[in-house]
Parts: sequence; C-alpha cells; structure tokens
Amino acid sequence: MATHALTVDDATYQEVRDQRLLGFLFFLISDVIIFSSFIYGYIYLRSTAMAWPPPGIEPAALYMAGVNSIVLFGSGATMHYAMEFFKHGDKRKFVGYMIATIILGLAFLGGQAFEYFNLLHAGTTWPSSIYGAAFFTLTGLHGFHVFIGVIFLITVLIQAQRGTYTQQRYFGLTAGALYWHFVDVIWVALFSLLYVWK
Amino acid sequence: MQAAVGTAHVPHGHIHPPPDTFIKKYIFSQDHKVIAVQYFITSGLFFVLAGLLAEMMRAQLASANNTLLSPTTYNEAYSVHGSAMVWLVIIPILTGAFGNLIMPLQIGARDVAFPWLNMFSFWLLPPAGILLFGSFIWGAPEAGWTEYPPISLEQSFGTSMWCMAIFLIGVSSTITGLNFLVTIIKMRAPGMTWTRMPLFVWATAVTAFLSFIATANLSAALLGLLIERTFGVPFYDPAKGGSPVLWQHIFWFYSHPAVYIMILPAFGIVSEILPTFCRRPIFGYKAIAYSSVAIGLVSFAVWAHHMFTSGLAPWVQLPFMIMTMIVGIPTGVKIFSWVATLWGGNIRLTTPMYFVLGFLSTFTFGGITGIMLASVPADVHEHATYFVVAHLHYVLFGGSVFGIFAGLYYWWPKMTGRMLDETLGKIHFWLMFVSFNATFLPMHWIGLEGMPRRVSTYDPQYQDTNLFISISAFVLGASMLVFAYNAIKSTLSGREAGQNPWGARTLEWMIPSPPPYYNFEDIPVVLSGPYDYGKPLPYREIKADLDYKPIV
Repeated sequence: MATHALTVDDATYQEVRDQRLLGFLFFLISDVIIFSSFIYGYIYLRSTAMAWPPPGIEPAALYMAGVNSIVLFGSGATMHYAMEFFKHGDKRKFVGYMIATIILGLAFLGGQAFEYFNLLHAGTTWPSSIYGAAFFTLTGLHGFHVFIGVIFLITVLIQAQRGTYTQQRYFGLTAGALYWHFVDVIWVALFSLLYVWK
Repeated sequence: MQAAVGTAHVPHGHIHPPPDTFIKKYIFSQDHKVIAVQYFITSGLFFVLAGLLAEMMRAQLASANNTLLSPTTYNEAYSVHGSAMVWLVIIPILTGAFGNLIMPLQIGARDVAFPWLNMFSFWLLPPAGILLFGSFIWGAPEAGWTEYPPISLEQSFGTSMWCMAIFLIGVSSTITGLNFLVTIIKMRAPGMTWTRMPLFVWATAVTAFLSFIATANLSAALLGLLIERTFGVPFYDPAKGGSPVLWQHIFWFYSHPAVYIMILPAFGIVSEILPTFCRRPIFGYKAIAYSSVAIGLVSFAVWAHHMFTSGLAPWVQLPFMIMTMIVGIPTGVKIFSWVATLWGGNIRLTTPMYFVLGFLSTFTFGGITGIMLASVPADVHEHATYFVVAHLHYVLFGGSVFGIFAGLYYWWPKMTGRMLDETLGKIHFWLMFVSFNATFLPMHWIGLEGMPRRVSTYDPQYQDTNLFISISAFVLGASMLVFAYNAIKSTLSGREAGQNPWGARTLEWMIPSPPPYYNFEDIPVVLSGPYDYGKPLPYREIKADLDYKPIV
C-alpha cells in the first residue's frame, strides 16, 4: 500500500493518509479499552481479595521491573529521535536510532522473560492465584504488544531501507512510532498499578 | 463547511475499473454494496437457524412437562438462539449489511475508507457462525447468551467454541465500527456538513463509535473466559478467589451499549422512511440526531441495571437505576419527533411505512417495560422471569427486526433494482405484527405471575397461555415464508424499480438501482439538508425524479 502512495498526487495522498491516521488512532483507542478491561478486572479482584498478594504467593520484584521500565522508556526516546532524524533527512542516524529502539525493545522482552522465569521458579504461576492471573495476563498482553511492536519497527525499517518512504510521505513510520509510544504509555499504567501500588 | 462547496478538489475523483474475476467480484469483494449483500445472505441464513431453535423451544413449551427436548438440549437451544440472534443476525445486519449498503451512498462516497478491512470484517462472520452452531457437536453452551460463570466454566468444549465465535464477531464489529466512523468523518461529499447528513448516517456514526469502544470490552471478557477455561487461570471462579460478578461487570459494560448498537441503526432506518412517506420534512432533525449521541453516551453508564440481583450495594444500584431511566428521555425525544412527523403529513401507507408504524408501537411498548425493569424494587421481582423475555423481544424483535424489515422493503429496490410485491409485503406485515404480539404480549403476564425463564418445563397453571404462545410463535415463523416468497418472486419477475421509486431525497436515490460499481459518476455537491420535501433538490450536478408514484 505504501508504495502505491508514491504514485498518487499530493491531495489524494493527504486524504488517504488522514483516513489511515484516524483509523489507526481509533484502533489504538479500542486497544486501550482492552487493557482498561483487564486493569479493571485486576483492581476489582485486588480490592475484593482478603490479602494482596494472596498468602504464600511471591510477588514480582520492583527493582527488576524498574530496570526494565528504564529500558522501555529509553526505547521511546530513541524512537522519537529516529523519527526526527528521518524528517530531517539524516538517513544514517535514523537507521542507527531505529536499530537502538529495536534492540531496547528486545532487551525489555528479555528482562520480562527473566522476571517470568524467577517468578515461576518461586511458584508464582499463571493459574496459581488471582495474583498470577492478573499479573501474567496484564504483563503478558503488554509483552505481546511489545513483540508486535518490534516486528512492526523491523518491517518499517526494512521498508524505509527499500525507499518506500520519502521525507513527505512516511505514514507507515508514523504508525510504527505511534504504536511504540502507545506501548510505552500502557507500561506507565501497568508499572504503577502492578509494581508501585503496595 | 460553506467553503467546501466551492472548492475544486473532489475527494476520490478517480474511478477504479471494476474487478474482472468472479472471486474478486462476488466472493472476496471489496465493494461495499456486494459486502452488504453478503452480510444479508449470511445473516439471513443464521436468522433462519436461530429462528428454528426458537420454534424448537416453543414446541417443547407447548405443554407442561413435555419431553420433546431434554433439559440439556433446551438449555443449548436458548443459549445458541440468543447468541446467534444478537451477534450473528441483528448486529451484522444493522451495521454490516445496512451500514455498508446505505451509508457510503448517503454521504456521497465511492466506498468506505478501508475496503480491504471491510471485506476482512465480513469474512470473520461465517467462521463465527460455524463455530457457534458447530458447538452442538461437543455440547453447546447452556448458560444463556450471557454465559455467566461459574456455570460457563464447567461446561464442555462447546463453550470454548462459543467464546471463539463471539470473539471473532467482536473483532469484526470493532473493525467495522472503526472503518465506518473514519468513512463518515473523512469521506462525506463536499458541502455535506454534520447537520446535513441523513439521519441514518448519524445513527450509523454513533453505532460505529459504540462498536469499537464497547466491543473491545467484550473481547477482553471473552479472552479471560477462554483463558480460564483452557488454562485454569482464575478470573471468575469464586473457588479460586476469582469473582463471577467481575464477568458480569465487563460483559454488561459491553452488552448494554450493544443493545444500542442493535437499535440505533433501526432508529436511523425509521428516520429515513418516515419523511419519505409523509412527504414532509422530518420533525426535529437536530433533536433526533443529537438524541442518538446522547443515547450512545448514556449507554456506557447503565450496565449494572442487568445486575440488580447480583448483590450490589444499594448506593451502587441507585445511580444505575436513575441513569437507566434517563435513557428514556432521548428515546422519548425521538419517538415524539417521529409521531410529530406523521402529524399533518401526507401519509403513503406502503409496506416500509407499515413496518415503521409497527416499529413505533411495539418498540415504545418495549421501552416502557424497560423503564419498569429499571426500577430496582420491580426488577428484583421480575428478574429472570418471562417478563424480561417479553421486554427484550419487544425491543429486539418489535424494535430491531421490525426496523430491519422496514429497511429491507425500503431499500430492496435500491439493492436489487426490482420492487418487492406490495400486497405480499402487507400480508407479511399483518401476519408478523399480529403473531408477534400474540407471542410476546402474554409473556408479560405469565412473567409477572412468576414463570421463570430458561427452564424447559413449567407449572401446569401456565399451560393454556403457553400453548397459545407456541401456536402464535409458529405463525410468526411461518410469516417469514411470505417474505422469502416475495424476495424470490421479486428477483425472478419483480417490477423494475428505476432510480427513485419512492420519490425520496437522500443521495442513494439520485443514482441508478442497483448503483454502478463506482456509485457516483461525479461526486455530488450538497447544498442543504436532505428532508426539505417540496423544495428543489439540494444537490449540484444531480437530477432525479421526485414524484412519488403509487407502486400497486
């Protein structure tokens, strides 16, 4: 589709781009609603539970997630720089920052895998309790989004290398960046609710 | 807004050539009109299947302690009947079918914003139907269309299939909603400001908003249920610390807005048909348009009225009771506007108009019992009785399905290019209207007397009423055959409809029937609202016959 964008006139491109941007924003809103439902479920279960976490359940550690958060927010910053460099036509720095973003995203997923491993080792499994249910579902859903985001960014990076985007027409990149920032923002909510809230 | 009228740039000025292969033209078509017909056919098939399940239930209930269906089969029948009617029939027909067929034409667009997504969205429907009806093989769900845990956690694999089916529908509904809302916001013809849009487009816009906001909750609730059923992860099971009430909250936070997804497009259909056959401007255009928005917003704050017997604290119940009653206000604004449109109108009693008048009476009745149910003290008594069954069928059958048939009779000529037979249409209406009321009106009484819903047997004191209801239900089912015959007859030998058989003024009647692939040869320029009967057409570059010629 993006290649098609290069063959149409400016007015038509602008029109199609506006439609896609709005559609993409609506998609992100519906995704926020999915997270909200699970967050609502988590708060509901937590506030009606006798004790949190339930007795005998080892909760996830704050420091580990803290390090991971810095990694993810850092990737948000590198994503922002990548976009800025693309808009200013600095192709080399754009590619560098994109790769940094992808690596940071993968590092976040690695950190999450490490955290999961520790928790499972301590006996806190997904079906073990409502704590495990809420924690693994929310972080898992988010991790899945990060994974999709990494694939998204790799795809737009390859497309950019192939010359799909120009300095005026780069909707795919915009969508990728929006999605990445969206995943970041969701993490702010999850980090606060799952780790900081004692 | 005004400036747009004069601008030279016309959106999508280029016309793509139509697809040339059979598959691209009729199977994986991206043309909104073809997709609409696909929705009609698919959902029509599901309507027949789900209707047969209802007739099975009525056969069982024709006499007390009947053994025609086992209790298990009976539970499966009402669960799949409800799920299919809501998700496979009413929602896809009102949004996917009517929305696709009419909305792009009414805003003067060549297609929706994302034709590929539109096609994708449709193709989620057949697998969902196969999963839902196929669940009978492993034992269909038995906990009703709401599938409350913990019962839904203990059922066989069929319930997981139900989860997957409804999840697919949820995704489809979300995508369609997003697609339609972008289309309406971004692709209206030059000069068509928000307050110049036809009222069906207003209704579709609000419905689209509800679809992609509310349906995401359903997806989450279903995902939770599926995960819990598959991996034993506790969300809803009280034995493991979960909460069944949590499911109810999330499910109804979707499903109450879904009630408006199922009725707002029908409101839109009624608002289109009334001015056409009253030959006068609709009364209270803005009141009808904005009350749709009001209903859409309030619908998010009423969900717990389905849960008055779930042990909520009284301070939680009270605001939900009040908010629910408030929904009656914008709905009343609409009903009074429609009645006021009839007032002094030069009324043409065509078949679509019959169904609209039927809609007005039955839906209003269902709305009033809705206010009764909204009241906590009354609801505690009426909950899970046939009173609720009567109420929901008055709004969903008397409202949505009457609206659907009104729309079908009205836009059939636009869709197929041929007229339906008016006499057969009126026979269909009278059979359906009388048997509908004969079926569901007595349910109010036996409900108030305490006959519980969702049970395959009942106390013999309700015997006579139930037999009467069952006979009426069979007549109601048979009345659909009249429509089927009419549709076949019209397809084979129906009168040519021409461009504008009803003498209507909205944009879809300004182009040939059925519309050409690209809809509009030139994108029209809109100069004012669509309902000013008696004035010249408000479109530049377009000519149409505005005379209403009697069809019979």
